[in-house]
Amino acid sequence: MDKIIPASWRTQTKPDFFCPGCGHGIILKQLGYAIDDLKIQEKTTFGIDIGCSLLAWDFFNIDTIQTHHGRTTPVMVGYKMSKPKRVALAYMGDGGGYAIGLQSLIYACFRNDPITVILVNNGNYAMTGGQMAPTTLPGEVTPTTPDGNPTGFGEGFKGPELLSTLCAKNAYIARATVSKPLLLRSVLKKAIKNQIDNNSFSFVEILSICPTNWKLGAKQCFSKLADVEEFYVPSEFSKKEQNVK
Amino acid sequence: MFPVNFQKRSKMLSNTKSASGGNKINIIFAGEGGQGILTITKIFTSAAFKSGLDVAYIPSFGVEQRGTPLVAFITLDNSPLRYPKFDVADYVVVLQSRAVEAVSQFISPNTKVIFDSSTINFALLPKTSIQLFGIPATSIATSKYNPRSFNLIILGYLSKVFNLKPDLVFSEVMLLLGKKFKSKEAEAENKEAFYAGYEMVPERDNFSKAVFKPRQGAILVKGHGKSGEILPSRCKGCGICIAKCPVAALSFGEELGVLATPVPKVDLERCIACGNCRNFCPDAAISIDKI
Amino acid sequence: MGIKFLTGSEAAVLGATEGGAETMFGYPITPSTEILQGWIEACEKDKKLKFLQTEDETAAGFATIGAILAGKKAFTATAGPGNILMQDPLSMAENLRIPLVCIVMQRGGPSTGTVNFSQQEVTLSAFGGNGDGLRVVYSASTVLEMYKYTAKSFSTAWKYRFPTFVLGDGHLSKMSAKVNISPLLHPIPSAALLKEKISPTFLRNCFSSEESFYNDRLKKNIEAWNFAKNSIVESEQYKVSGIKSLIIAHGSVADAVKDAVDTMRKNGIKIGLFRPITLNPFDSTKLKTLASKVSRIYIVESSLNQLSRIVKYELSGIKTPVIEIAKPAVSFTSDEIVRLIKNSK
Repeated sequence: MDKIIPASWRTQTKPDFFCPGCGHGIILKQLGYAIDDLKIQEKTTFGIDIGCSLLAWDFFNIDTIQTHHGRTTPVMVGYKMSKPKRVALAYMGDGGGYAIGLQSLIYACFRNDPITVILVNNGNYAMTGGQMAPTTLPGEVTPTTPDGNPTGFGEGFKGPELLSTLCAKNAYIARATVSKPLLLRSVLKKAIKNQIDNNSFSFVEILSICPTNWKLGAKQCFSKLADVEEFYVPSEFSKKEQNVK
Repeated sequence: MFPVNFQKRSKMLSNTKSASGGNKINIIFAGEGGQGILTITKIFTSAAFKSGLDVAYIPSFGVEQRGTPLVAFITLDNSPLRYPKFDVADYVVVLQSRAVEAVSQFISPNTKVIFDSSTINFALLPKTSIQLFGIPATSIATSKYNPRSFNLIILGYLSKVFNLKPDLVFSEVMLLLGKKFKSKEAEAENKEAFYAGYEMVPERDNFSKAVFKPRQGAILVKGHGKSGEILPSRCKGCGICIAKCPVAALSFGEELGVLATPVPKVDLERCIACGNCRNFCPDAAISIDKI
Repeated sequence: MGIKFLTGSEAAVLGATEGGAETMFGYPITPSTEILQGWIEACEKDKKLKFLQTEDETAAGFATIGAILAGKKAFTATAGPGNILMQDPLSMAENLRIPLVCIVMQRGGPSTGTVNFSQQEVTLSAFGGNGDGLRVVYSASTVLEMYKYTAKSFSTAWKYRFPTFVLGDGHLSKMSAKVNISPLLHPIPSAALLKEKISPTFLRNCFSSEESFYNDRLKKNIEAWNFAKNSIVESEQYKVSGIKSLIIAHGSVADAVKDAVDTMRKNGIKIGLFRPITLNPFDSTKLKTLASKVSRIYIVESSLNQLSRIVKYELSGIKTPVIEIAKPAVSFTSDEIVRLIKNSK
């Protein structure tokens, strides 16, 4: 039976500064339980970005480094290269992973760097007020798409699908959702174990909610999330077999 | 459209004295980020501007979108203004306990401190604040109108203090908040709250009890084969647990959490200890299990 | 060790290993590519050394930071537009006191300018990023100094915990010269910045209020800088006895100036050279002493006024006339320097 709070959480910094109802809290709790279950608290290093993920800078009882926007992945790549026995987590949002940090994310996957990237997809740039993100759905109204996100920009950015075309055979690529917290926990554990056991890259995109910028209450947030899950399908993405040259 | 009578303009500020000398009035609004304080500040400064005053305003806040005190610096004058940051305020309007620390440095014996006496215990205010004006806004809003309208009650009172025409201020309310009033009834209720504030006589002593404040300690629950806890010190009142309870055993109760918003209460008879509330709570503030 | 015939890039690589470097991240860009290449050859010989060619310079700088956080002596090398991108990680290092060593082989700017040579990355290296310039900048003037100051940059960085640059240029990178390589002082040991202790380390560079940022971060950094700078600062004075006029120059231009000084001295002109070795912090005490003795100061640089701005700031209050001899992105010969100084009268 789970305790009310993960052991790896730092109680002194709670309540945290995430908005009421923020999906980050659900994710970080399942991540905390995952770290507890795998007993890796003492050997994990947690890298975070500058968006809302910044608010997790003193969240866990775990060494944490906050980087510049989109740069969490390369920092953790350099770190893991130097400390191969530690578990390196890179935690970021849709901007840090799919926009400014996309190049480094692709290369970490391409090189099969043995880090675990956790990307929180809430369909907007929340900390700066809800602007369009690569993951904003077609037609969505945001401060930078006042007439609705033009479908000409692409039908939503499908990160795990993209990475699965570039990844090594033993990389782990998945999409999970905060609507299924226990499944989320097991996906996070699988991803982290892939780093530890297979010395390979792992990536988990997590569909999340943002009551503040979606301007919805709790129940409506989860309804909207159900719609999002039709578009960004939660799944595991195994490496497609390629023709041998 | 805007009053241009110069004499009328100067009269507006003539009965409010500036602690810093001159005609400039320095005001601080402070409250919990996310509780509507930013909107109230916008309405107030916009109404002051439309009344023909010169207004300068800077909101001051950090990276967090919610959950930290928001402090707004406002200056009013009859003549062109510059940079509205100052050491000492003529008026401090403080609406939540967590914001008191942020505004203490601006309070001098000459400062008039307007506060929500139903959420802030007057004894928490700094020793330098000797001119206290208590408005039990949250208490009145909760009992007579709707809890969120406490902002409008304060706004109504401030309109009186600064000699702003209440009709003009309320039209600004409609402009900035009108879309949020879901019905004609809601609009009428909020209007009533605003005008009640306008007519309010502030408490100068014998302040209302500050009942609308976060509950200390844990709420332990036991019964019907289940036990658990709810922690108001971590609960932000997001309502996710209530939305995710499959048997509607959770609902908002009377106790207040860390942001002075209601925390859930549990009907243990209905509860099936499925663990959803614990699994979904972003703040580790609730957990109920079978004994 | 011993007498060798090396290019500036090769000397830099030797200096890095001498300084205790363990890992390099880089992205090819002329004229710094040879340093990455040379380091990779060193990795072939010593399996304890590591490298990675990253997807761009920003990634190189941030990966270097990651390795340093883990306690490795890591460094990077770049030039021109790469140095611009490098300001992103460098300003994170400046905020968090991360000992990031960056070798910059200056090329013509702005933009992609030339791949050849300049002294136009002084302002960028010393004061780039969005901070107040708490970075150490060494300007190497010879192939030997590429060795010496690259090695030293690791000790300086790890002892004082400020990002540390070694400025060379495109000519130095390709120039071959005879050098006597000798071992240097024992390097400062490194330590992990993410300490892996029971009490966790939280490193953030973003704060919520002006006051907390100043009190908890900037004030402490500035105090540490002020405390350290007198120990870090370095300069050279060449043939300054009885001088009536003074030349100020740095980097490889200063080496050409030395020849020019020799020529002018032979012709009876009482002129000498003040060469700042650290451009930041700057040895203003020694310069002011010299400046007060002369009636003319010449600043010779291959940029419009990047050295001159620093010098004039450091000399403010001194009334000696200052003449700028500037050739942005173009190198000088020593004869040319003699001519230009003669004609400037």
